[in-house]
Amino acid sequence: MHQQLVFAHNQYSKDPILSCALEGVANVIAGIQDVCLIIHSPQGCAATVGVGFDQHEIDFTKRKIGCTRLFETDIVMGAARKLEEVMKQAEKSFGAKVMFVAGTCAADIIGEDIEAVCRMLQPEMEAKLIPISAGGFRGNSYDGMNLGLEALLPFVKKTPIKMMDTVNIIAPQANANPTWYADLDWVKQILAQLDIGVQTIFSHDTTLAEIENAGRAAANLLMSHEVGYDFAKKMKEIYDIPLIMEDNPMPIGVHNTKKWLRALGAHFRKEEQIEKIILAEEKKLLDVLRKRGLMMIPRYRNCKLALSSDSTIGIGMIRMLFEELEMIPEAIIFKSCNEKAEQLLERELSDMNLSPTIVLNADGYQLKETIRQMDVDLVIGSAWEKYMAEELGIQVSFDVFEPTNRVTYVNEPYFGFEGMLQILQIFANDWERAFRSKEIKYKECN
Amino acid sequence: MRLEEHVAFSGKLSRLYELAKKGEIPTTLQGSHTRPCKFWTAMKILSGVHNTIVIAHGPSGCAYGVKQTYKLTNCRNSASPYEAVLSTNIEEKNIVYGGEKELVGAIREVEEKYTPDIIVIATSCATGIIGDNVNDIIETIGETIKAEILVIHCEGFSGEYRSGFDLVFKELVKLMEPPTEELKNELHHSVNIVGGKMGAERSEVDTDVKELMRLVEGMGAKINAVIAGDCSLEELKRAPSAAVNCALCLDIGYAVGKEMEKVYKTPLNSTILPYGISATRNWLEKAAAYMGLEKEAEELMNQEYEVIREEFESAKANLAGKIGLIEGHDAVKSLSIAHMLEKDFQMRPIIYNFHPWSTEARETSIDYLLEMGMDPEVLITKGTLAFGKYESMKQTEDELLAFLGNIDPETVVYFGSSLSFPNIPLVDLNAILNRPRFGYRGALKVAKCINKSFTYAFRPRSKLMKELVFPKDKSLSSLSSLPSKLSQDMPDCTLYGKGGRRRCINS
Repeated sequence: MHQQLVFAHNQYSKDPILSCALEGVANVIAGIQDVCLIIHSPQGCAATVGVGFDQHEIDFTKRKIGCTRLFETDIVMGAARKLEEVMKQAEKSFGAKVMFVAGTCAADIIGEDIEAVCRMLQPEMEAKLIPISAGGFRGNSYDGMNLGLEALLPFVKKTPIKMMDTVNIIAPQANANPTWYADLDWVKQILAQLDIGVQTIFSHDTTLAEIENAGRAAANLLMSHEVGYDFAKKMKEIYDIPLIMEDNPMPIGVHNTKKWLRALGAHFRKEEQIEKIILAEEKKLLDVLRKRGLMMIPRYRNCKLALSSDSTIGIGMIRMLFEELEMIPEAIIFKSCNEKAEQLLERELSDMNLSPTIVLNADGYQLKETIRQMDVDLVIGSAWEKYMAEELGIQVSFDVFEPTNRVTYVNEPYFGFEGMLQILQIFANDWERAFRSKEIKYKECN
Repeated sequence: MRLEEHVAFSGKLSRLYELAKKGEIPTTLQGSHTRPCKFWTAMKILSGVHNTIVIAHGPSGCAYGVKQTYKLTNCRNSASPYEAVLSTNIEEKNIVYGGEKELVGAIREVEEKYTPDIIVIATSCATGIIGDNVNDIIETIGETIKAEILVIHCEGFSGEYRSGFDLVFKELVKLMEPPTEELKNELHHSVNIVGGKMGAERSEVDTDVKELMRLVEGMGAKINAVIAGDCSLEELKRAPSAAVNCALCLDIGYAVGKEMEKVYKTPLNSTILPYGISATRNWLEKAAAYMGLEKEAEELMNQEYEVIREEFESAKANLAGKIGLIEGHDAVKSLSIAHMLEKDFQMRPIIYNFHPWSTEARETSIDYLLEMGMDPEVLITKGTLAFGKYESMKQTEDELLAFLGNIDPETVVYFGSSLSFPNIPLVDLNAILNRPRFGYRGALKVAKCINKSFTYAFRPRSKLMKELVFPKDKSLSSLSSLPSKLSQDMPDCTLYGKGGRRRCINS
């Protein structure tokens, strides 16, 4: 099977490429409309929370964040009063329907009873108060998203009513595409074409009413391999909503897109409509590539590469790279990969008879060392990998994942046939840039 | 809008300072106005020392945040290689049982993996509270580690954001070596520029620090180190033997300069940010005096002035007597611009919305200005002190417009962010193309910027751009804080985060 690299001296010192649980919790909350978030923490944690809101591109006219700015005396004496004051100020200023009150490392460790504060203040507050433990030590940002999702479960009402042909979409934001909302839009667009309704998105631009009514959906659709699986399992247990298509790679590249679409069509008995979509969209893809992308064939064939990504995009992309672009993925590096995703990865590799070097849950050191040790022609990753590749003398790197150096004004899906075109367009531009002259040689001109 | 109803303070800087000291004006930041914590600011200084590995003793988020903000920015803008920021990855079980084993393991691993010159142990909120005895650990294993080890107690709760800068600067002094006669002779025409942070200067931008280095070299001196802009352990060790430490300004670099003065008697040249000719002259003359290069400095200054004289005098002629309204949320910069406007251009500076919180953080600069006989006017509106949300920003904008009233746009210029939309000429000195701002070239650049803004004062600000910042459909009932992406540039904003700093060209 696949190769494993052994990294000495890496048990205790991690060079993290994922943030902490607080960012994940903030990310899930930021996806809900008309809520405010009060963090009971020192002021630096507000930057981490801000990133969670950045990930949803919540514009500055809609942000509602407060911080208790804890200092030493607060740590020694406790700061429940301070928290109450900030909550009251926030109620007055923000007027949000729901106020999440998050305890971060400092508040969680000194044992601030945020639940009690919320309980005590609730009668005098308009907003519904929701305490949540979000200490960074509770895990990485994906663990935090899971914590955030779990905090939403009590809001979902039990109902005997099930709406046929409706789905909840779970964890669209746990995806390395810098404009992941375009992938969400693609999924929604496909569902709309099939007359399948979206009941609730957990979470992006979601209303509280939608969360309350999530129990009506006929199925749950997970958009990430990293986050949401436990949440979906609980949705099945409590609300009897099945999780569908859980064993499919995400719809990236031709094969995986067709497979994903056909699975969706089969579940909702819309096979005929799906085939029409596939026919039309695949034709468009081929027409464009025939006209504009022919030269990728000699460029990419048997090109040895390292792919560094999350498992959500990464698992889907391997088949596109190997079977469709005829590249050779020598190293697969995922910054996070849970057991379920690992099983899916194993199945995919086995099915393709592919044996790359695999590094899962990699940190920055392992990432760079893997790239250093592998004999590859190019690296597919984020801005980080681009700089690592440059430093290690690898001429070509494709900067497709977050954090990216690319500025994107028009959202770019990576899912579906159009998404494949977007990915290939980025590949093509980065390839061109790598081999173009960087400067004019003035002296020679003279 | 009647301005009187919206004024929180109007008067001289000295009066504001007095009120703040007596506690008669609120000097705490609102819960919406978060600054980077002590951990972040400590990391910002440490990012400027080569071959240094920081082990953030705490959960991964603290290390990840600063790495993403500082290190990725350095790769992007300063041609720096990838640099790791390590974490001991403290989890729930360590909160209960402690993380000392993890820290010892991490130190040993880092030595093997990276062979750094310096290993820094930076404590976080979590390990600070659970009480891991970091100093004891270092005492026990320190001798078995080849790298220099620094322990920085920078728990986010343990001080205001500024304290992280000062703490690290002071700790860096511990790595230095006492001056020797031999080295002092070698470095008798060398200066350290102190107060740099984050890393090397931007590779593609004519930055202020590069301009100072050019001027220092122009008078025949050398730069030993930019501490801690882009320095090595070797440079740090030699630093006390340099002829003089030149602080970037009274606040930034003052702590390291004072500590080196105390410990090694290295002289300190510390003035206000060298915006404008007057402040630049002061900076250069004092530096030259410590090296016996007064004559060379005078020649250099004459040469520099001669290059800009014609354009500068012509640009300056139009400015005397005009009002310069200076956005005050970057406190040190606003004081320095006030100094330049008054001393160089004979303008009347008014600092607008200088948060009273800054009187404590920027005490040294305020004292200096007052001692120099300068006491600019300060106007603070209520929006500045409001609980942060989109409307408080809108409120300060409205208050600004009310303050300006029907003022003649030919008599006032606003120094602030382009994301503010006053109905008078505006100069954004943070814009990337307006660099360098220091030195003679900087003085000319500023003078030309002001005149350019007067020349095109007839052009109304773009409705499209204004609507991006102040959307039509946002009434006072829609509420929010500011996003980190725009926090650097927004009027009345103090939020902070990695998003903006990695993309904003002004940062």
